[in-house]
Amino acid sequence: MNRKRLIAAGLTAVLSMTVFAGCGGGNNSSTAGGDSAPAADSTPADSQTAEADGQTGSTEGGKEVVIWDYFETDAQKEMMQKLIDGFNASQSEYTASHVYVPFSDYEKQLTLGVASGELPDLVIMDGCGMASFISMGLFGDISDADVKWDEYIAGPMESTMMDGKHYGIPFATNCTALFYNKDLFDAAGLAYPDENTTWDDFKEMAKALTNDGVYGFGNAATNTDEGTFQCLQWLYTAGGSYTDIKNGADAYQLMQDMINEGSWTKEVVNWTQSDVNNNFMAGNLAMQQNGPWQIPGIEANAPDLNYGVTVLPKRDADAGQATSILGGENMGAVKKDDMSGAVAFIQYYDQTEVMVEAMKMYGSFPPKTEAAKDAYWTEDPIQSAFITQLETSIPRGPSASWPSYSAAIQKGFQEVMTSAKTPEQAAEDTQAAVDAVK
Amino acid sequence: MKKGKMKSGTYLGFMFTLPAVIYMLIFIGYPMIENLILSLKNVDVYTFAQPANQQFIGIANYVELFMDTNSIMTKSIINTLIFTVGSIFFQFFIGFGLALLFSKKFRGCSFFRGVTMISWLLPVTVAGLLFKFMFASSGGIINQFLMALHILDTPLDWLLEPRSAMTAIIVANIWIGIPFNMMLLITGLTTIPSEVYESANLDGAGKLQTLFSITIPMIKPAIMSVLTLGFVYTFKVFDLVWVMTKGGPVNATELVSTYAYRLSFEEFLFSKGAAAANVLFLILLVVGCFYIKLINDEEEAM
Amino acid sequence: MKKETKNNIRLFVIGACIFAVFIFPLYWMVVTALKTQTEIFAIPTPIWPRDLYLDEFKEQLSLSGDTLRGFKNSAIIACGATLISTVFSIPAAYGLARFRFKAKKGLILFFLITQMLPSTLVLTPLYIMFSRMGLLNTYLAPILADATLGIPFSIIILRTYFISIPKELDEAANIDGCGHVQSFFRIMLPIAKPGVIVAAVFSFVYAWGDLIYGITFITNPTMRPITSSIYNYVQQYQTLWNSTMAFGIIAIMPVVLIFIFMQKYIVSGLTNGAVKA
Repeated sequence: MNRKRLIAAGLTAVLSMTVFAGCGGGNNSSTAGGDSAPAADSTPADSQTAEADGQTGSTEGGKEVVIWDYFETDAQKEMMQKLIDGFNASQSEYTASHVYVPFSDYEKQLTLGVASGELPDLVIMDGCGMASFISMGLFGDISDADVKWDEYIAGPMESTMMDGKHYGIPFATNCTALFYNKDLFDAAGLAYPDENTTWDDFKEMAKALTNDGVYGFGNAATNTDEGTFQCLQWLYTAGGSYTDIKNGADAYQLMQDMINEGSWTKEVVNWTQSDVNNNFMAGNLAMQQNGPWQIPGIEANAPDLNYGVTVLPKRDADAGQATSILGGENMGAVKKDDMSGAVAFIQYYDQTEVMVEAMKMYGSFPPKTEAAKDAYWTEDPIQSAFITQLETSIPRGPSASWPSYSAAIQKGFQEVMTSAKTPEQAAEDTQAAVDAVK
Repeated sequence: MKKGKMKSGTYLGFMFTLPAVIYMLIFIGYPMIENLILSLKNVDVYTFAQPANQQFIGIANYVELFMDTNSIMTKSIINTLIFTVGSIFFQFFIGFGLALLFSKKFRGCSFFRGVTMISWLLPVTVAGLLFKFMFASSGGIINQFLMALHILDTPLDWLLEPRSAMTAIIVANIWIGIPFNMMLLITGLTTIPSEVYESANLDGAGKLQTLFSITIPMIKPAIMSVLTLGFVYTFKVFDLVWVMTKGGPVNATELVSTYAYRLSFEEFLFSKGAAAANVLFLILLVVGCFYIKLINDEEEAM
Repeated sequence: MKKETKNNIRLFVIGACIFAVFIFPLYWMVVTALKTQTEIFAIPTPIWPRDLYLDEFKEQLSLSGDTLRGFKNSAIIACGATLISTVFSIPAAYGLARFRFKAKKGLILFFLITQMLPSTLVLTPLYIMFSRMGLLNTYLAPILADATLGIPFSIIILRTYFISIPKELDEAANIDGCGHVQSFFRIMLPIAKPGVIVAAVFSFVYAWGDLIYGITFITNPTMRPITSSIYNYVQQYQTLWNSTMAFGIIAIMPVVLIFIFMQKYIVSGLTNGAVKA
């Protein structure tokens, strides 16, 4: 019996040894794997951990400044690289680098970062998400930084602030407007939409353009904040707001009517903004609601597409220009003992000419009133339509509870668009849901 | 002598199991306890950064989840049950049929069996997209087939109607899960000695009789574990639904797992999200106890 | 003899039919990858591609450097996780199948329980733990996490497998003077080989298919597993179905090849290893 015990103990020992050997094996292979691309493998990872520990490791060019972004397209990546190169060349104290984190995982990764302390120095993120993360303690107060705060457009600026303190600066701003396919309008013998187009005109147009696989209009109404971003403007244009659904119920009516007629495609409830744009490029949509960041994609994938852009349709002839919802990114400074690198980078970007250059490559607009007046935007008919639309654009929230508002509002749109509820009922229920958000 | 053997067995059996227990305690047990504690607190976007303001609020999160008349929690539990039962039912029977078929030897058998496994090797993200594409209202091949066969007159908006969206995600999940059932049942079938069949044959037993009186009873342990594991794994499916519908339209395909994720990482209601996850866990715990009871009976019978 | 042949043909036909229905989605994936964007949205959409449009494949292959790196990362992670999970689960399954002890049922329940929380919800505590251990952005983090999927699964599968093996076998071994440990290594393991292979394959596939752990614990783009690359790609180009599908096919090709190749061994394991009692 004793022998058996001994063997059992021995076996456990052997087993655990094999296991550790197993781990070791994994480890070794990982280092071996790293050998093939040593520089690429080690730098971002190491710098990140070093950053997180607050021991800003000094490498050849001075202190590291790590930036997180979710930029995916080649143009955006190039813009970011140029910006970083420019910053690194402009001074010798800091060396900036950036890490790509996929958009769909971005907020999760930031949340985990806050919980564990594994964070970069600067975070570029969607403007309306910033309030939540300021509240969660991700960002630090940089009100004392040498930034020309008063030059910024009010809406985007607001989204970087809480209780009068600055936590970053707006990085880029944009909004959605109405794209239309000129060829489809010509074929139907219709005049192009313009700043005088009302909801009634728009409804007629969309109906006339709908036939045989082509839908009059489409936007993104997926059940995420992306859907809220695109749908919310209809609610505002109707007279409502994110806390006042009932006064915007006419938007629900319009949506349900058009979807029942088939002129506003029902597929939108599963569409993201790129889905919408892909369908617009393929000629399946005569009109789409979308943003300026789609323009480079259209130029690359459908260079022959004959299209125009104008402001979104207004409520009626007496009403002012339609409201649009501000999109775009903010650049926030992560709360750390030593935030000087983050502040230095923000001050670099605060220079109007740097901002203008970056935004030309990025396909958005600079968040400064002055900078957006650059001839690059005002003299291009498509770009200038967005500049006009920007004048009546408002931010989402800002509220730290924005995600909960967004979920409630988006559910309302989905109920209307799938005809699960009547517009009146949906307005009632969504109002209740919005009121319930703390 | 006998007593001594049992005693050594106790010790040895435990020692054999111990390393795995310790491993799982560290990497899953600890996170689960953390999750339980979190669900009893009030951690959300406002209190996340201020541990001082985080308090224990008892089961308030759980109550809140269920209180609302339009409770998404209740809906997502029902959805999850429909999704799980629907998936398991077809996965199991088709998988069992395939297992019986492929455990016979015929030409091309191993090739067919091998290719059948691919659906399960495909990363779920890709499989989900593939089905999203096949179920698309316009241009989707499924509508086209059904219309060519005159089962449908007009294209059905599969992923846009609450009921058909559920059907679509179940179909996709069945396709992914069949190889799992098939493979485990084949493994079970190989433990039946061929002599048993031969003697049944001699006794003049029919094929169905052989199936019900020999095959099924003999692989009962395998069947039980396939069903239990299948239930547990299906009940917490996340990626597939996230890719295909994100829980929509109007929460029609919202599962407990997607809802919990949404609460935690989209709405930053961390404690509530943890509570929702624990509800899922509690339901599975009941299923787990049921399985243990079955094991109990079965082993006493042995 | 004749009846045998007829039977064989019938089985072949049934097998082929089920196979055809089952395999259709995969076929459709390949066909879509070979179509142009216009053909994809045409109504009715062609059931086979008219002229093979290989551009998408070419484009995806030109990115193959990244794809290859993704493979290597996935392979390291999946092999590591499989190794850990097999080494831990075999003895545990044996212990739970062959011995009677008080905590046994509790332990089986425990292993089941560990599978009951969706992985998205154990992420935060695991992330903090790995962060403290300095394991973020190393292969070890997803390996350790992925093994938690394989261990309970393998234990439950192998346990039923061990139970199905007639007890007389190791009892005979005991009488022959073999101890439990010896009989485990010399008799049970060889007999259980097919079960072990199946458990290992499943652990591998779970780790290979894992997305959430890989994408969360590794932010370094050069260390990301292939599933993360697919996911990222898909987020961007969703409705460009042909290139998405081309990417998907290229991404799974090596696993499929390995699997079809391995199948021989798995099958021979299944048939040869069957208990001849």
